[in-house]
Formats: sequence, structure tokens, C-alpha cells
Amino acid sequence: MLEDNELITDDNIARVRDLLVCMEKGNESDAIEIIDELTAIRETELYQDMGKLTRELHDAISNFGIDDSVSIMAEQTIPDARERLNYVISKTDEAANQTLEAVEESIPICNDLSEQALELHNSWKKFTERELSADQFRALSKDIYLYFEKSNDLVKVKDHLTSILLAQEYQDLTGQIIKKVINLVGEVEDKLIGLIKITGAPQLASSDGDASSLDGPPVPGLAHKDTVTGQDEVDDLLSSLGF
Amino acid sequence: MKILVVDDFSTMRRIIKNLLRDLGFNNTSEADDGLTALPMLKTGKFDLLVTDWNMPGMQGIDLLKAVRADENLKNIPVLMVTAEQKKEQIVEAAQAGVNGYIVKPFTALILKEKLEKIFARIE
Repeated sequence: MLEDNELITDDNIARVRDLLVCMEKGNESDAIEIIDELTAIRETELYQDMGKLTRELHDAISNFGIDDSVSIMAEQTIPDARERLNYVISKTDEAANQTLEAVEESIPICNDLSEQALELHNSWKKFTERELSADQFRALSKDIYLYFEKSNDLVKVKDHLTSILLAQEYQDLTGQIIKKVINLVGEVEDKLIGLIKITGAPQLASSDGDASSLDGPPVPGLAHKDTVTGQDEVDDLLSSLGF
Repeated sequence: MKILVVDDFSTMRRIIKNLLRDLGFNNTSEADDGLTALPMLKTGKFDLLVTDWNMPGMQGIDLLKAVRADENLKNIPVLMVTAEQKKEQIVEAAQAGVNGYIVKPFTALILKEKLEKIFARIE
């Protein structure tokens, strides 16, 4: 569009005056020439504006639609991310099972040893109070020997503890993977914002989600409507219902 | 005391089973959702049901409702152990007749307290 100050210039005013003079004199060919000049001024501006718009549209399309990164994202990066997250699930599952196995094998050993230690303690107390017969003392000596043998199982407990220790490596691996996926989500977010800007899609009202859907574990930092935080609040809520 | 532990994650079932064993409950069975749990309950003469809420197949809340609707099962105490923390859901579980509601993550002590509370009411 022509700005007012671009049309009403001294040159153009002079042209219009000339045009009037030519027409009053009946000089048609000069009048047409001046009219053509004036029209040309308008057309040049119009073509320039259209050219500028076309270039902007082209840039926008090549930055977004024809941009390789979007198709790479859809065809490769997002499926990759899904694989990565599946790997996180399998790594955490593995670590949890390894830990549980070690704990389940250690607990009976600890239980046995602590029970036997308690029995030996009681017998030893009787011995120091001179309440044991010679036979009972011989039995106690044998039990003590067996207990020392049995305490070799502590080596197994130590191995299990080492196994639990090593299982924690999942935190490092899964942490790195999840960080990558977080970055990817950020990139997708940027692209989507770009798309919304180009298409001029209206801002959607923020959604509160479906009230009846299951939310799963609450995540610190994310707002949750009408949820409790922790067992104490659950207990308070239930007791307010007469539980 | 025979207990059925229902959770779709095997690790969570193992954790609960180990905690129960620590509390002296050795007779536990496992199921991974409501659909597998319900037939077990009908034939197994269980004294307590410990269930998660969010599971594929049949969810814990539907299992609870099915138990309460069954003439032979309706008196089994049900303890829900779940990550669901919406007030609306806790109220729904209470109305459906849950006997205890534990939110994850939980401790051995909380499990012990809730079980004692459930058994104290029965006796």
C-alpha cells in the first residue's frame, strides 16, 4: 500500500497539474502519458508488497514444512525416543529384580544367624553363671563351632550387598537416556509453537484433563487438582468420611 | 492367614510379599490384575486382598466392587495400595467399601499400621 506521504509528493502534484493543463488544452496523447506514469507508481509499490509477502511465505514454509528436521523427527527421532524409554523400563525392571533377589536371599541368612546368636548368648550366660553341666557345655561348644561354620554365609550376604550396589548403575544409564528424551520433547515443542504461529491457530484454552482418568503417581512441580499429598492426608480424608 | 496380592508390576508384588513375610504373613499368592484375581478369590479362601488400582484388564476399583457384590466374597477385607491420589478416587474407593487405602510410595510401618487397623476391626 502507498503511504499518504509517498503519493502526495511535489513531483506528483506537478504531474497532476500538468495533466490538468494537457486536458484543458485538448492534448490527449500527453494526458495519457501522464496518467500511465501515475498508474505505474501505484503498480510498482503493489508488486513490491506482493513480492515481499511471497518471500515471507516461502521462508516460513521452507523453515517449517520442507525443513528436514521435522521429517527426521517424525520418522526417526521419535521412534528412537520410544525405544529409549522402553529401554529405561527394562533397565529399571532388571535393577529392581536383581535387588529383590539379593534381598530375598539375604534375609533368611540374617534371620538364621541372629536367631542362633541369641540362643548362643543365652547358653553362654548360663555357662558364666555356672548353670551348665559338662554335657551341656560340650553341646554348647559344638553349637559355637557350628555357628562359626554357619557365619561363612555372611560372605554370601556381602556378595548380595555388592550385587545391590551394582544394580544401582541403572540410575546413571536411565538418567542419561531420559535427559535426551527431555531435550527431544523440547525440540518438538519449539516446532509445534512455530507451526501454531504460521497457521495462526487460536490459543487453546488450558485443559484440566479428564477428572475420571487415572493420574498415576503425582509429580512434584506439576499442579494437581484435588489430590492429596501423602498418607496423612489420605487418612484425614478417610476419617472425615467416618472411616 | 491367606493373602492375595494384586499388582501389574511384579516388582511391587515382590516388595509387598516381602514386607508381609516380615510381618509374619507367609501364605501369600499373586495376581497381575483383577481378571486373574477374581477367579483365584472365588476358589482360594483368601482372608485378605491387597490390590493396586491402575492395572490393565480389570482395575482395582472394579475388583473391589466385584468382591463386594459377590455373596461369598463380600466380607473379605480389601486394602488398596496405589499411586492414585485424587480425592475423588479415594472417596470412590471408600464408598465401594475399601477397608484401607495406602498411597505409594509407602513404608513397611504404614503397611503394618493399616493391617493392624483392619484386623482390629474384624476381631
